[in-house]
Amino acid sequence: METLDRRAAFRLAGLSALGAALAACAPDAAGGGAPKGDAAAKTFGFTSWSLNEEAQKAAVQATVDAYAARTGVTIDTASFPYNEYLNQVTLKLRGGQLSGAVQLDISWLAALAAMGRLKDLGPQAAKGGYTDVALSSGRFQGRQLGLPWTTGSIGLVANTELLKKAGVEGMPATIEEFEDALRKVAGLGGGITPYAAATKAAQLKDILPWMRTFGSPLMEGDTITVGDDASVAAVEWYKKLYDAELIAPDVDRFDARALFAQGKAAFYDDAVITRGVVAAQSPDKSLTEKMAPLARPVLKAGDTPQALLWGHVIVVVDGEGSDAAADFASYATSDTATVAAFFEKVKLPPTTTAGLADPKVAGDTFTTEWTEKITKTATPNPFWRYAGYAQIETAIAEQVQAVLVGRSTAKDALAKAAETAKPLQK
Amino acid sequence: MTATLSRSVPLARAPRRRRPRSRAAVWAAVAVIGFFGLAPIYWLVVTAFTPDERAFTFPPSLVPAEITFDHFTKLAENEQLFGYLVNSVVVSVVTALLSVVVSAYMAYAFSKFRYRGRKSLMHLVLASQLFPQALLLVTLYAVFSATGLLGSYAALILSFTTFTLPLCVWMLKGIFDTVPSTLMEAAAIDGASRWRTLHRIALPLAAPGLVAAGLFAFVRAWNDFIFALTLTDPDRQTLPPGLVHTYLGEFQTAWPDLMAASFVVSLPVIAAFMFLQRYLVGGLTAGAVKG
Repeated sequence: METLDRRAAFRLAGLSALGAALAACAPDAAGGGAPKGDAAAKTFGFTSWSLNEEAQKAAVQATVDAYAARTGVTIDTASFPYNEYLNQVTLKLRGGQLSGAVQLDISWLAALAAMGRLKDLGPQAAKGGYTDVALSSGRFQGRQLGLPWTTGSIGLVANTELLKKAGVEGMPATIEEFEDALRKVAGLGGGITPYAAATKAAQLKDILPWMRTFGSPLMEGDTITVGDDASVAAVEWYKKLYDAELIAPDVDRFDARALFAQGKAAFYDDAVITRGVVAAQSPDKSLTEKMAPLARPVLKAGDTPQALLWGHVIVVVDGEGSDAAADFASYATSDTATVAAFFEKVKLPPTTTAGLADPKVAGDTFTTEWTEKITKTATPNPFWRYAGYAQIETAIAEQVQAVLVGRSTAKDALAKAAETAKPLQK
Repeated sequence: MTATLSRSVPLARAPRRRRPRSRAAVWAAVAVIGFFGLAPIYWLVVTAFTPDERAFTFPPSLVPAEITFDHFTKLAENEQLFGYLVNSVVVSVVTALLSVVVSAYMAYAFSKFRYRGRKSLMHLVLASQLFPQALLLVTLYAVFSATGLLGSYAALILSFTTFTLPLCVWMLKGIFDTVPSTLMEAAAIDGASRWRTLHRIALPLAAPGLVAAGLFAFVRAWNDFIFALTLTDPDRQTLPPGLVHTYLGEFQTAWPDLMAASFVVSLPVIAAFMFLQRYLVGGLTAGAVKG
């Protein structure tokens, strides 16, 4: 056995260090760096998950290129997968590595706004001609931190061919009519799920609009009202559908789309973009012609149909170059020719009055019907105001699932959900 | 004689009765494990060859009714994916080489030299494995950001090497422990320097272990998702985040395309394993038993 003398020890240590040095020798000067410059900078960043999504990247890139050509600026683009996007953007904003314009899902606005780095886009919003409902999606604590890029809703869509086969006349307007329609569809047999409602915990937040339908406000002031009589009634009704096999176990949005695309579901919940998504999965090339949006059935005639507001906004990180980025955000979201062309390519509805009135948009019957029947009365999720909104939704979803599988009663489960959610209100 | 035979018969029969049962149990266990191991791969291949509109057929079909090569054609035409593949190869190969070089010297020092703090250092190296790696992500992000390495290949290579070193060091130390010290002493008597002894005697004898350590580091770097996504620029990202980015969207998951891409990108790793598996098995087990 040898002993290590000083020279040998230094040699070995040096070799180990060399390995590390070799790896460190190729840094990229631009790597991860935020664009630098003053307020009139001609270079800024634009971060967007859509820049890498097959269905949307060409349209988004066209908007970026058009603005760059028009103004002579250089836009450094970056993209992260949708499911990891919020984590990545949060980390980079916290690390000072994020600047310029940033695409956000409207449900993420509070999480980023809480970091206090977003620019107030009130001036741009005032002159953009946005609809009120669209503007509300980019507002946080009274400040306009996001310019709405697309505003829609999560609502019900139906397969009219299946309804016709089942003998359902017209679209159900009340819960009673809806239940009756589901039973008629169930009578068709053939493994059809009448309503491909979310039953997996990951997607069970879809029950929130049903709780509202039954009369629960979900929140009053700063108090979560989940667990009140209305929300309990909603969950008991959901459980009734589950037990009657009118909704199926273990269904999330992806499963629901697959079932609907295969003609195995008569109703399901989705965003307005549903047409393109299910068409790509369906062997029935005429399925899109059979799809129809419907207002969520109400408890009693005269009630307001409930829907969840959904959409994307563009926020701007305050700091150098933010003026140019804000101008880009304004252009991308409110220039009528741009938003109409964007809609034509990706079918995401614009957010300005002029954009919605453009013949390219107004001539699309499915979208206008969706806007009229669903988005018109859509409201944001009241939990979005909290950075921990996703955990609140999960707390509720897990308890609803416990009810569905018979591990708990609706009253006990929702009381427990409210208790779990309370400390998450921050 | 008769008595001897009569005693020996039951002794001979007993194992004969047990053997088929134990064989059946072994085969059943192999079948179950094989099913769990191979069924996902089978499903991956089937989906890769299934047309989009049939991929979501309900109930699913175990044998594709129709076969398409469209997903592979699209894959071949996707230059961005080729870029991710190049990034994966660069990062994984350099990580493997760096891990082997650094861990070989560290392991040799731990195995063949005696100095104050040796055991503490060894346990310190092992203790670093106790931390969940995801916890280190934020810290590493800040460190690389401050040093200007964020977004570069170096950030990924350094991170992966850091994570693979402890296991590689301990694996190689076990192998160096099995190399008799008398060999080193003989080399010294013949006039070989320590440097020469290490490179001409110890390292060649530890070759299977070096290959195993390299493969382990390669696979670790090849498969990582979250570090590759966070620490590099989009144009330097490796295949796992690249595939997710390309095929898993806000609204849609292109499962058949994703399966085709996953199938193709698995091939280099499968080939490497098939080529080097005899070293891998030898390297992982060497030093496991002494005496």
